[in-house]
Amino acid sequence: MVVLASVLGVFDISLDKLSNGELWLAQFFRGLSDGATYASVALALVMIYKSTGFINFAQGSLALLGVYLAYIFSVEQGLPVALAVACAMVASAVVAAFIERVFIRPFPPDHVLPLVIVTLGLLLIIDSAVGIVWGFRTRSLPSMFPSGAPIEWGIAQLTWRTIGNLGTVFAVVGLLYLLLSRTKVGLAFRAVSSNLESARLVGIRVGPTLGFGWALAAAIGTLGGALVVPDLLLEPSIMLRVLIFSLAAAALGGLDSLVGAVIGGLVVGLARNLLVTFLDLSELALATAVAVILVVLLVRPTGLFGSTTVERV
Amino acid sequence: MRAAVGAGSRQHRQRQIIGWVLFTLVVVLIPFLIADTYSPTIFGNRYTFGLGNLSQAIGMMVAVLGLNIATGYSGQLSLGHSFFVGSGAYLTAVLVNEFHWSYLSTLGVVVPGLFLFGVLFGIPALRIQGLYLGLLTFAVAAVFPSIIRLDEVKDRTGGSNGLLIESDLEAPTWAPLSTATEWLHAIPGVGARVPDGLTGRQEEAVYKYFLLVIVALVCFWLVRNILVGRVGRALVAIRDNPLGAAANGVNLAAYKTLSFGISAAVGGVAGTMLAMHSGFVGPDEFGFSMAILLIVGLIVGGAGTLHGAVVGGLAIQFVPVWSSQTQTLPGTDVALEGPYGTAILGGLLIAIIFALPGGAAHGFRRIKARLMPVAPQPPGG
Repeated sequence: MVVLASVLGVFDISLDKLSNGELWLAQFFRGLSDGATYASVALALVMIYKSTGFINFAQGSLALLGVYLAYIFSVEQGLPVALAVACAMVASAVVAAFIERVFIRPFPPDHVLPLVIVTLGLLLIIDSAVGIVWGFRTRSLPSMFPSGAPIEWGIAQLTWRTIGNLGTVFAVVGLLYLLLSRTKVGLAFRAVSSNLESARLVGIRVGPTLGFGWALAAAIGTLGGALVVPDLLLEPSIMLRVLIFSLAAAALGGLDSLVGAVIGGLVVGLARNLLVTFLDLSELALATAVAVILVVLLVRPTGLFGSTTVERV
Repeated sequence: MRAAVGAGSRQHRQRQIIGWVLFTLVVVLIPFLIADTYSPTIFGNRYTFGLGNLSQAIGMMVAVLGLNIATGYSGQLSLGHSFFVGSGAYLTAVLVNEFHWSYLSTLGVVVPGLFLFGVLFGIPALRIQGLYLGLLTFAVAAVFPSIIRLDEVKDRTGGSNGLLIESDLEAPTWAPLSTATEWLHAIPGVGARVPDGLTGRQEEAVYKYFLLVIVALVCFWLVRNILVGRVGRALVAIRDNPLGAAANGVNLAAYKTLSFGISAAVGGVAGTMLAMHSGFVGPDEFGFSMAILLIVGLIVGGAGTLHGAVVGGLAIQFVPVWSSQTQTLPGTDVALEGPYGTAILGGLLIAIIFALPGGAAHGFRRIKARLMPVAPQPPGG
């Protein structure tokens, strides 16, 4: 008992909080909601990683651009939010396909390092372009889902937004699965990600297929951004934190597994909310993401669901 | 094409000596020339060439140099070098404020402290390779500001407000800075631009500049000595072909950790230099944006070259400063506002990867080889 009490003392944990079931449930729901948003950006990262074997550090920036477009379509042009987000997804997909064609395709796809550096350059360019065009004033984007909560239990609320976020992510994974397993372009995509050389030899046009992957990833990332932003305020640096949590989610799930990205996202979202609430670590929210990445990479570098690669010597 | 000069021949040595003399002259002259903030107007935009920016750039050069050891030479992608730079800066700030040490004496703690820290960081990094290491270090860089803002350390680090360092570097009386202006007048041409005597503030700035130059030169010299020898060859071998290096008896684990240690120590010195220059440390200065800037400096200057660190440090300091001073598009009335500098650096990064993968240092070397060819000394003899 003494040991337990001293441990609790070190972390500044109050037993009142720990025994408060409603608080647990409330944080559980919030964790799920956050987790769903991380999962959707993580899905975008995984799409790129699956096809090209590198991490697109500009994914958060592309999502940022998409969310600003959604803001323009909905708040300034007056479209309904869901339609505005759909338009922004298409627009950001077009931008991403263009970026892939101009900046990524000229490089040999099997040499990863220059490509990663290029995505860092893109991150700088897109983030500052957003700052130049839209300024640093904070804005708010309405949510796609109605406010209010159908299920309430004290302070714990299962809001429509949480349900909507979760539903969206599961729908995205389902659609992606169907796309990859049932369509011709999905087959081409899987072939390219499995073996680039052989895919080329059997006549798959590798370039456009990868461009398609980029476009799809950007659209998913934009959707993820549109889920995140209503909880926060829209300003140019907002997606950086999301990107880091999503990187942690993708690493946890295994960088090449779609299901892993979703589960990773939910786990990171839950871990973040529960740790921050019960250990009083509000400043260290980001550090939980780093801890997740570090532990995963040290203990199980392929994540929970990633495929192991065999290195031939 | 001119006739090549043999390496190590008398002519070649003469050329090298002339090069060093010119370098010394420029390094000594510049602070006096711009101490009196030179601010020309070009295309309707006022630019200032203050000494402060140059001093800050010298700190950045050393930061890029540190990153160069881990990433440029031994090929471990580190996107979080700002963490080490920030740690060095805060360590210096706290030692100066609370223990009243002088800036330079804090290096006695910063260098070994950060070396150990880098080694400790390098040990888990052994298991993590390439892209994954980039992923981890990227996240680590973003966390640094939150660590500084933690409630537990807020009282010491100043939290979000940053920390003003309570020590001014004043030029000691023995330093003949004001009298030096008189000597410099004697130089024909540029001598006329040197101001007569220096005000107190200018003297302080010039003194800081020389202090930073000396620290930077020592860093570059030490790192060069480490890298031209056994350690440097081992690191490059690890970067180019880890298996081959291991087969040739290079202890991969030891050298990789060592490279992180040296890299962090040099980064810490850069942090001390930046703290020394501005007399202030703030948490967001050393966040993720600095980490990316250092990568930009590394690639633009040239990864795996010492000259590259110099070019890179200058680029990441001056491109943002000058572009923020460019308030209208040259020649027009179009107003420019916002972070253009960052966008330009991003573009520069991509352009360099496209056009000159070896970085600016590689480009200079090619031009130099064309203008002043040097034939390598045949082995033996």
